[in-house]
Formats: sequence, structure tokens, C-alpha cells
Amino acid sequence: MDPETFRRDLGAWLDDNAHELAPPYEGAGSMDEQMAHYSYVKRSLYDAGFGRYGWPESVDGLGGSPLLRAMVGEEINLRGLCDPNPWTMIEVLVPTVIEFARPEVAAALVPPFLRGDEMWSQGFSEPDAGSDLASLSCRAAKTDGGWLVSGQKIWTSFIQYAQRCVLLTRTGEPNSAHRGITALLVDVDSPGITYSPIETMHGRLDFAEVHYDEVFVPTERLIGEENGGWQVAMDILPYERSTTFWHRGALLHRRCSDLVAHLVANGDHSDTAAKALGHAFQWLVAFRSQSRDTQHRLANGQQLGVETSIDKILITFAEQQLFGAVRDLLGGVVEFDDGIDAAMWRTDYLYSKAAPIYGGTAEIQRNIVARRLLDLGPES
Amino acid sequence: MSGLVDAEDLALLATGFEAAMAEETRPAETDQALFDLGWAELLSAAPSQGAATAFRALGTTNSAAGLLDDVVANTLGIDISPQTCVVFPAPHQAKAPAHPQGDAVVVDGLVSARDEEATTAVLAVEADGSVRISTADARLFQSPVAGGVDPGRAFRRVSVEIPADALVPAPAGGSWDSAVAAARTALAHQLLGGARWMLAEARQHAIDRAQFGRPVASFQAIRHKLAESLVEIEGAASVAEACLEGPNPLLAALAKSLAGQAANTTATHAQQVLAGIGFTAEHRFHYWLKRMLVVDTLFGSASSLPAEIGHHLLSRGAAPRLIQL
Repeated sequence: MDPETFRRDLGAWLDDNAHELAPPYEGAGSMDEQMAHYSYVKRSLYDAGFGRYGWPESVDGLGGSPLLRAMVGEEINLRGLCDPNPWTMIEVLVPTVIEFARPEVAAALVPPFLRGDEMWSQGFSEPDAGSDLASLSCRAAKTDGGWLVSGQKIWTSFIQYAQRCVLLTRTGEPNSAHRGITALLVDVDSPGITYSPIETMHGRLDFAEVHYDEVFVPTERLIGEENGGWQVAMDILPYERSTTFWHRGALLHRRCSDLVAHLVANGDHSDTAAKALGHAFQWLVAFRSQSRDTQHRLANGQQLGVETSIDKILITFAEQQLFGAVRDLLGGVVEFDDGIDAAMWRTDYLYSKAAPIYGGTAEIQRNIVARRLLDLGPES
Repeated sequence: MSGLVDAEDLALLATGFEAAMAEETRPAETDQALFDLGWAELLSAAPSQGAATAFRALGTTNSAAGLLDDVVANTLGIDISPQTCVVFPAPHQAKAPAHPQGDAVVVDGLVSARDEEATTAVLAVEADGSVRISTADARLFQSPVAGGVDPGRAFRRVSVEIPADALVPAPAGGSWDSAVAAARTALAHQLLGGARWMLAEARQHAIDRAQFGRPVASFQAIRHKLAESLVEIEGAASVAEACLEGPNPLLAALAKSLAGQAANTTATHAQQVLAGIGFTAEHRFHYWLKRMLVVDTLFGSASSLPAEIGHHLLSRGAAPRLIQL
């Protein structure tokens, strides 16, 4: 499928179905409403074919360039059809699962996720393994026909809606660091899994603390090699910083346009407003341009790697500039006002504070750039 | 890119340009050397790619060659030569540098080092909301001002009144706005070439310089400054490259603004990493720093362009999606 034709057909289909695809709730909606609508939009796109392009036939995709997926996510976010975060989980997890899971497992489990029938989550971080991911301790002990997993994970997004979880476990000695990690694809309804959601400061239950108590995971759910989980994690992280961010960049563009509309409606054409707006917009464009280059490398079959840390730092900067400008220019809306628009601005402003933390902190990204791109040698 | 020049040709020309610029000759001699290497033919065959190639080299070598005169004149449809210079807008601005006042024309702008040897000057005059392009005897603009921060004196201020009848209308060519966009794109590449040079100097210094028994490059505070510089450079460079895909005045403004910001950030961080030696006249760093300060002001700066861009968005009523997959 030629990307230009795809973009045109997709745009026309979204225009024709704008009413059906619009969120049935006002503002951000509750998390249950959001997730239900996400599944609906996903299913509609899948049934219309658009949601299957860019994925290989081995998982019931219709093939074609990954650019097609990037276009779908961009349009969904530009039109504000559903919350971007559930959408990102597919882009984060599925490419790596297709590459590293057993083909029959990927073929069976990925299609329901692409169709919106399922949600998946990512069990990486632990209370004592955040930035230092390689020190994780959630244990997978060998047993007949698989593993028994015991331990604790944290910041696991959407676990309360998820059917599967991509889990990093310790299979080597406790101090085996990145050499003794194994990735498993776990069913969330397995006996022994319990979770308690954590409320974020913007008032949502986006993620949870998850306990694993002798959870059985069969051998065929191994992703990659035994003790080869670090390679799986390192494969996932660049995806987390590529297509996912391309989608989020589209959301930021929409919110930047919303800010412009708000200023115009208030008759604010001041130099102060223009300067803050121009400053935020220029970093949005810098991110978008850099991310476009990343998308093209991905589409050309190049392996993404540490250079995606640049994308992460740029989008963080753009997001903070944009919502910083929102707070400065909206004259108290973020701090004081009622109503749906104010609540949305407040949510987005508060959520922008997470940008330098999730997916590898701002400091970790700078460490990667310094070590791997600037070749500055080891840290002291 | 123009089909007339392929990537291999550009790489060869870039090497030749850099070698010519690195020779310590007077700007007029460098200009002549670049024309001898085929600069005019390159600019005619591939205006934006060719300019980007040459301006990256300008930034890397910190040469004071008068290539900006050629980029602007060429876009305006005026024949270029080492004897033709252009009067550029006043610092931090992009509007035409002259306006009529009675029988005179008041000029407030900048000229490049080429102005010393040029015979013809190109002048944009704004009157009644439109810009007219003229040529005049270059000696009218030879500025007595010798000062300025840049020891290479790549650009100098010119503030004169000239008789209106000294101007000869130029034949119709490209618009002033298109010349502004071409200049901004080229200057973005120059600023980024200079920023990459400064970053490379600071990186090498950090690796070579030991304190507390280890290279200062091992300290996180130093590493993060250099990493932030690279990120700003790469983000700006990506937009500057996108400008070569087709004319887009807003994208050119963004590229120049981002490149100026990246160059400022890099200069600040690089100087801090170089520390004492970077504040001396002995180290070459200050030549690049001072040229960056000057080039940043040309055709709108990192400090003036965000407001221009913001006003554009406000008048449009939306944030356009400039970069497509």
C-alpha cells in the first residue's frame, strides 16, 4: 500500500465516520469510559483494514510499511479520538514480541491486541529497580513445563484492563545484572497475580503495583532466549521512543493549536504570548522533524537504538515548553478554573511533569547520549 | 535535491570548500577561490543543497567568506560574483534594510566583509508595504565602523543616507521573502556547523583534561552539558535539513531560530567545559563564539524569531503540521 494513498483513504474514512468515532463522553472521561472507547476505535479501524496495515501477515496484518501505523496513530491523536496512552502499548510491545516470541505464540496472541479485544501491559520497573533496570529481582524459578514467578513490579500501566503482561524476570544469580534476565509473556488472569492501582497526581489510576506469588508461566511464553531478556528490553525501549512519540507529538500539535485558538478567542496577540507560543512550537517542530527521520529509518528496516534518546529528550522539552506556555498565558485557568476545558488543560499540564520521568528519566537519556553518541568514556 | 548535483559531488565540493576556507587568506581571496571551485555553478544547479553544503563548511572553518551575499543575490535573480555584495537587514530583523525619505534613501543594515572589495551592492528598499530591489555603487555603503565583537569582521553595521537617484532598479527576480527564507536556511546550516565544531572541541578537552585523577569527561555534570548540546544541535539540524525539501518560509524561520538557540546553548556549555582556557585569546574557541553571536543576529535571531513565529501562528489561528511522514 502506497503511503500517500493510505493517508488519503484513511483521512476520508475518518471524516466519514467522525461522528461514530468521536468520544461519547465530555472531556477526558473516566478511565473505564476511555478504555471502552479505545477498544471501540481500535476495533473499528481493524475492521476497516486501516488497523492491520504496517503489521506482518504472520499476526493477521496486511503488511506494508510501519509508516502506515505511524499515520494511523497520528490521525487518531490529531483528531482527539481516544486517549493516546493505551494506544502506545501496542507500538511499545508488539514489534518486539513479533521478533522475539515463538511465532505460534505471536500469531495467536497479537491479533486480539491489534483488534482492540485485549490490552497488554509492561512489567519492567520494580520498587528497587527503576533507572537501574538491570538490578531487577522479580524471580522466575524453573519448574516442570515453565517457570514460577515471584516478586513485585511497579508502575505497570493498565494492568487492571490487561489480559497479558510482558514481564522481565530474574533467572540468573541475584547479582547477574543484565546477564541473568528473562522476558516472559504472562497471562494476567494467572493464579497468584494481585495488583493495587496507584493514583497519579493528575487523579488517574494509570498504573499499579503488581505482586506475583508463584505464578506459573509455561515454557512457550518465553520471549527471546532464557537469560536473554536484556536484549528484549533493549529492543523494546527504542520502540517506546519512536512510533509512540510520533503519536504523542501529534497530540501536542493539537493542543498547541488549541492554545492558539484560545489566545485568538481572548484577543491576546501580545508579543509575550507570541514569543512563548513560538518557542514552544519551534521545539515541537524540532521533535517532529527528528521523529520523522526516526520513522523513516524504521521503515527502511534499520535497527533503532540509542539515538532515539534524542527523540525522548526533544519531546520532553517540547511538552514542557508547551504546557509551561499554557500555564503562563492562560491567566489562571490551570490553577483555578472549573469546566471541561480547564480540567483538560490542568490534566495535560500536570501530566507534562511525567515526561522527564517515564520511559527512562531525563538523566538516563543524557547518560545514554553522553556514553553512546558522544563516546565520552565511562562515568566516574 | 536538484538532479544536477548528486551526493558524491556535494561531498567532494564540501571538502574543496572547507580546504579553501581553512586557508588563512583575506575574505576576498577566499571568495575568489570558492568561485574558482565552482560555487556559482553549484548555487545555480542546486540552490538550497549547494548553499547548505557551503554554509556547513563556513560554520566548521569559521571563514568570513561572503557567501551570504551570493545566496541572497542569487535568490533575487541577480548575477553573483565576488564583486557583488548585498546590504543585509539590521541585527535581529529580516525587513528590508532601507526606506525612502524625501529624495534620499535611509539605510540601516549590515554588510559583509565582501563590501570592502565589491563594486556593486544590492539594496532592498521598503516603501508603501512593498519591497523593491535595486543595485548601486558599493562604495556608497563602505562603512567607517571598525568595531564589533568579531575579530574576523565578517559583518559590519552600515548606517547611511544615499541619494535616491543613485539606485538602479534590478530586473524582476525572486521576492524579498524568498531571499529571507534562503538566507535563514543557509545561516541555520552555518550556525550548526559552528556548534558542531564547538561541541567537538569541548568533547576532546573533556576527554584529555584530568582532574581528581580522572578525565573530566567522566563527571556527570560535564556529560549532561555536552549531551544537551548535541540534542539541541540534532533537533535543529533535522529541521534545517527538512528546509531543503522545498521552499517553506515558516520552516526556514524555525530552522534559523532553532539553530541559533542550539548554537547559543552549545557555546555556553562548551565554554564552561573548556573552563579557563576557553576564556583566553590563546584558545581558538572565542573566534567561533564571537562569529556565532554575529551570525545569530542575521535575518532574525534566536531571541527575536520565536515572537515572529508565534505571531504567524496567531494570525493563522492554528499550529500547522509542517513535517509530513
